[in-house]
Amino acid sequence: MMPPQLKIAALVSVGRNPASGAPRAARNDVLALDAALGLAREVSVLHAGDAAPALHDYLAYGAASVEVLPLPPGADALAPLAGRVAGYDLILCGQRAEAGQGSGMLAYRLAKALNMPVVSAALEISLLGDEVEIVQFLPKGQRRVVRVSLPAVIALHPLAPRNPRYVYASRRAGRLLSAPAQVGAPLPASPWQSEPAVKKPQKLKPPETRQGHARLLGAIATESKGGALVREGSAAEKARAILDYLRANRLIGF
Amino acid sequence: MNQERKRLDPRRPFLLNPAGLRRIILGATGGFDASLLAAPAHKPAAKPLRLHGDPAGYLLAAAHSQRGMLDAHAHQAIAAAALLATPQQAVAVLVFGSLNEDLRAYGADLVAVLPGADELGFAPEQELAWLDEFVTRYAPAHVFMPDNETGDGDLGRRLAVQLEAEVATHVVELKPGAVAMYWQGGAALARGPMPLVVLIAPDVVETSLPFSGAGETVAPPAAQAPPGPYQNRGLREIAASALALEEADFIVAAGNGVADIPTLEAVAAAFGAAVGASRVAVDEGKFTRDKQIGATGKTVSASTYLAVGISGAVQHLQGIKACRHVIAINCDASAPITKRADLSIVGDAQEVMTALLAGLAQRNWPDTARESV
Ligand SMILES: Cc1cc2nc3c(=O)[nH]c(=O)nc-3n(C[C@H](O)[C@H](O)[C@H](O)COP(=O)(O)OP(=O)(O)OC[C@H]3O[C@@H](n4cnc5c(N)ncnc54)[C@H](O)[C@@H]3O)c2cc1C
Ligand SMILES: Nc1ncnc2c1ncn2[C@@H]1O[C@H](COP(=O)(O)O)[C@@H](O)[C@H]1O
Repeated sequence: MMPPQLKIAALVSVGRNPASGAPRAARNDVLALDAALGLAREVSVLHAGDAAPALHDYLAYGAASVEVLPLPPGADALAPLAGRVAGYDLILCGQRAEAGQGSGMLAYRLAKALNMPVVSAALEISLLGDEVEIVQFLPKGQRRVVRVSLPAVIALHPLAPRNPRYVYASRRAGRLLSAPAQVGAPLPASPWQSEPAVKKPQKLKPPETRQGHARLLGAIATESKGGALVREGSAAEKARAILDYLRANRLIGF
Repeated sequence: MNQERKRLDPRRPFLLNPAGLRRIILGATGGFDASLLAAPAHKPAAKPLRLHGDPAGYLLAAAHSQRGMLDAHAHQAIAAAALLATPQQAVAVLVFGSLNEDLRAYGADLVAVLPGADELGFAPEQELAWLDEFVTRYAPAHVFMPDNETGDGDLGRRLAVQLEAEVATHVVELKPGAVAMYWQGGAALARGPMPLVVLIAPDVVETSLPFSGAGETVAPPAAQAPPGPYQNRGLREIAASALALEEADFIVAAGNGVADIPTLEAVAAAFGAAVGASRVAVDEGKFTRDKQIGATGKTVSASTYLAVGISGAVQHLQGIKACRHVIAINCDASAPITKRADLSIVGDAQEVMTALLAGLAQRNWPDTARESV
């Protein structure tokens, strides 16, 4: 199906059950792992951080082993990952992590560091020689087909139609491998302060300068537009009005 | 003792001021003069300009348009820039794709349009070159973009790595100089200084502003990116009937005023639209529960929503807030849906639907018209 020499890596992070907060395999990363295993029998499954017990879940989802690249807590995972996957042909990751910052930036930063193209929101991935074809998610039932040359970084969309299976026996059979510790650069002080998310974020609003009557009017009169009203004419003319509106706004292609 | 009392005429001539208040015209007598009422009645006063004089700096907003319009999320990115700008900072907006709407209401002072940027195309390097040129031109303090899945979230991230700039994604709270976003999958809220690239989550900015932008058109960037590793192989569209209502782009919805369901379904099929329903229609067993749209049903975001025989109760309207073009067919011209609809047809649902089908059949439109390459 494909030349066996392609080197494919799947990047996996530790996820977080949204209800209980318990660590687990991250859903998007399971999709990335499953997609990688669909493309090659041998996949390097990499995690930067601690050898957390939750990583065993990836073994159950089909990883023969998970290679753990040591990382001081809170440090940036980019440097060890970029160093490890240099020379790989295809690097798959999840679109957004479930723990940590979850900014969805890693794929882009990794691609920049390795000077590779990056495609996100991937639903399906197929190899075509030295290119890879990706079906990308777009809202409203659209899908886009994109090709990029290898090597490339691809981030999997949460709705990727894959069906990873959890096999307990493989969980028992697989292993976590620890890479030798690297000397990490000291962390710059983070300007971010995190707090438990209890309060609802505030919407950015213009300051209220209206007084009394104007404010009252503003509260009762919504800025409703109330569009055109077609009362007169035959049913055919009314139908025509609808079709004309749809055409004028380019909502139908005919 | 029966003195002639001077009596006030309750219908004295008056004017309405822009705020909608009655102002009696002193000295005038006689009956009501309708001509005086003509203009100002309910027209809102023109909003004042936010920016006066020459700008001393810029904030940028950029987004992709669809069918010549920006969506609410993109409007929020522009409004965020306008609300956070200092009185000396101008808001420059770069629109990828054609634009047929006025962005002044959202506070845009300078608008550059790239009609050549295909709204559903994929040319990340070309778009990045344009955006980069625009950023270089204005040297903005911040760039605001909607963190969406239609290209802006992707482009914003590419911009951040290209410029090696600080970036905040999925931003849920904006304040002058500060942003907040969720970490740990939503369990923690992180606050920090506002970075150069700010990708905002939906619905975190109010877009009805008390001021207006200057809305001046400026030249779009002209950079040309060399051919890169990306190839766009076109779009695939999924049949509307196979799509969940939340994802559908065209919905034909039936209410209590529709008796003949097969006709409605034929109309939907002719438009390639998904079928939805009001709660009453669902309760009557005409549709399954998963078709219900509204507060207790589904929230949809179709570009086109054709409401047939639906009165437009608030619980129903709640579900179609995000729909761009609402068209109503209703025999009652005063039904609440007409206030929400962009086009209201007053007439019998059955007759209009039949005429629509006839009109659609008459035109010899190709079956593949909606399937782009
Ligand atoms: C807690 C709560 C939650 C609710 N949640 C929802 C919800 O999620 N979704 C929802 O839809 N509703 C919901 N409802 C119900 C909602 O309040 C309305 O009752 C409902 O939306 C009305 O449906 P309708 O417009 O189809 O019917 P009606 O209100 O009966 O309106 C029928 C309309 O069709 C017009 N009509 C009649 N005959 C014809 C004809 N021959 N040709 C053209 N027009 C015709 C009439 O003029 C009328 O405007 C909720 C209510 C409550 C209390
Ligand atoms: N520490 C890590 N080790 C390995 N992969 C990671 C790590 N952190 C993030 N990733 C990958 O990058 C994706 C996006 O992460 P983020 O950019 O942090 O949202 C995740 O879905 C993972 O696939």
